[in-house]
Amino acid sequence: MDKSKFSHWFFIGPHIILFVVFILIPSIYGVYASFTNWNLMTSPTWVGLDNYRTILTNQDSSFHHEFFNGMKNTLIFVGVSVPLMVAIPLVIASAIEHKKVKFKNFFQSIIYIPGLISISAAALIWSLIFNSQLGMMNNFFGADTVWTATQPYAWMTIFIMTVWGGIGGNMIIYRASISNVSQDLYESAEIDGAGPIRKFISVTLPSIRFPLIYTVVMTTAGSFNVFGQPLMMTNGGPRESTTVLMMYIRDLAFGSGQSIAGMASAMAVLLGMVILIISAAQYYVMNRNSA
Amino acid sequence: MNKKYNISKYLAYLFLITVCLIWVVPMIFGFTTSFRSQGEVVNEGFRLLPVNWIVDNYMAILENTSSAPILRWIGNSLFISITHTLLVVVVISITGYGYSRMRFKGRDVLFFTLLGISFFPNVVNIIPLYRIVDILGWVNTPWAMIVPGLAGMGNIFLVRQFMKGVPKELDESARVDGASDFTIFFRIVLPLIKPVLIVGGLFSFIGSWNDFLWPVIVYTDVQKMPVTAGLLLLQDIYGNYQMVGQLMGSAILAIIPTLLLFLFAQKYFVSAINLNAGIKG
Repeated sequence: MDKSKFSHWFFIGPHIILFVVFILIPSIYGVYASFTNWNLMTSPTWVGLDNYRTILTNQDSSFHHEFFNGMKNTLIFVGVSVPLMVAIPLVIASAIEHKKVKFKNFFQSIIYIPGLISISAAALIWSLIFNSQLGMMNNFFGADTVWTATQPYAWMTIFIMTVWGGIGGNMIIYRASISNVSQDLYESAEIDGAGPIRKFISVTLPSIRFPLIYTVVMTTAGSFNVFGQPLMMTNGGPRESTTVLMMYIRDLAFGSGQSIAGMASAMAVLLGMVILIISAAQYYVMNRNSA
Repeated sequence: MNKKYNISKYLAYLFLITVCLIWVVPMIFGFTTSFRSQGEVVNEGFRLLPVNWIVDNYMAILENTSSAPILRWIGNSLFISITHTLLVVVVISITGYGYSRMRFKGRDVLFFTLLGISFFPNVVNIIPLYRIVDILGWVNTPWAMIVPGLAGMGNIFLVRQFMKGVPKELDESARVDGASDFTIFFRIVLPLIKPVLIVGGLFSFIGSWNDFLWPVIVYTDVQKMPVTAGLLLLQDIYGNYQMVGQLMGSAILAIIPTLLLFLFAQKYFVSAINLNAGIKG
């Protein structure tokens, strides 16, 4: 018995070390760095709330402009892409789960496969599709739109690519949840004279509310970290109208020239707080309304 | 009654086939364009199939081993993803065993504390993480992408949940027979939790293969980077659509490994996603 008193450290010890070094310390240090002047290499100097004051209130500062522009663009991305990334896979999953539809797994695979393609490979293909001279879109529709350099088209290219590559996981979750809904519920709804839309709203949606809450919260939290699609499709343009906050944070901390990691950390903490607050609010509202 | 189902059936098919067409056309377009010459792309405009199929683009891609060594990038990515995946399986199995089978004081409190901390948005820790990886001398080495991800809690949570479903009687009777924790872990528990380990492994592989932000930050050496970070450089290297075929060919080569994995492990993917969301498939 004495021997096993310590042997649990053999099982959980290695991971605890990894956790402390790669999650706990960097998280604490990230918050600490936001109150400092730091260039990533030398030791940081404490400046209190200066970074936050500059970002939030100093209208002449480029950091102020970058933060609010980046936050605005990130919120636009989240606000448009999350509803699309929930509604579209939900409709597709419902169609696949239609009683008489065959080849269910085939349809599912086709929709899921783009999710396995890395953002950079997908962006190369989509950039060509939307290329104004060589691209499929303009050739096909006989247009001459400069997609990635005019709004609202620049946003549209980002959303199209995001939906294309990002709905597979949610669709599989919805499909499995819908197929688990008891047939009795549908039958009794039919006896009450409910049509397909009515059945979807009053039977399907309430029955899959937990997977719905899960996917909404996870998709939202993930969308706040958006970085690759605007970087590769539009490079933040036109006129920084698609430059998201992660792009500014990366440029400040790791861009060419002197690293401004303290300021970048303050922006990261603010973004992190927004993510936490919105996730918690979503969970609270959705859980209460469906209870 | 039946008639109504038939109309909705055709609507569902129509919808699904349309969506699937929209979904595959970009992939086919990328694939076929990689077999077209630049002249054809410019002069003939959009065609789904090339007029002349050529492999020159792929020859050129493979010859460029200095500014865009695509095979080397794919090799780097394979080494990173495979090593990371194997280590993830080791870490989550022993740690999951520790948090579900070992009896020690404060076990569950410790577990849920770590889980809670891990929900902290990772955008905050990415800058200090770079500094730590730099101090360890891992910048521009595979370890920068292999090791930090091992600290995650998500897969350990899954393994712990899964182990709760494995009957305790099995290991208790072994314990009565005098088996140690190590014997119980390797002989009894490990074979039983294989499904959840496959799930954790698959996600880790795809996750590290497709990771983008982190490799863009930690790799500056063209010869050392994984393929996702490498592709970011291509738009400049292949001259802003002066070499479209080579651009598409590189993207296609980068897609092949995960696509093959999906074709061979398809059923695990579906159960993996559902297990993650807590749904019995």
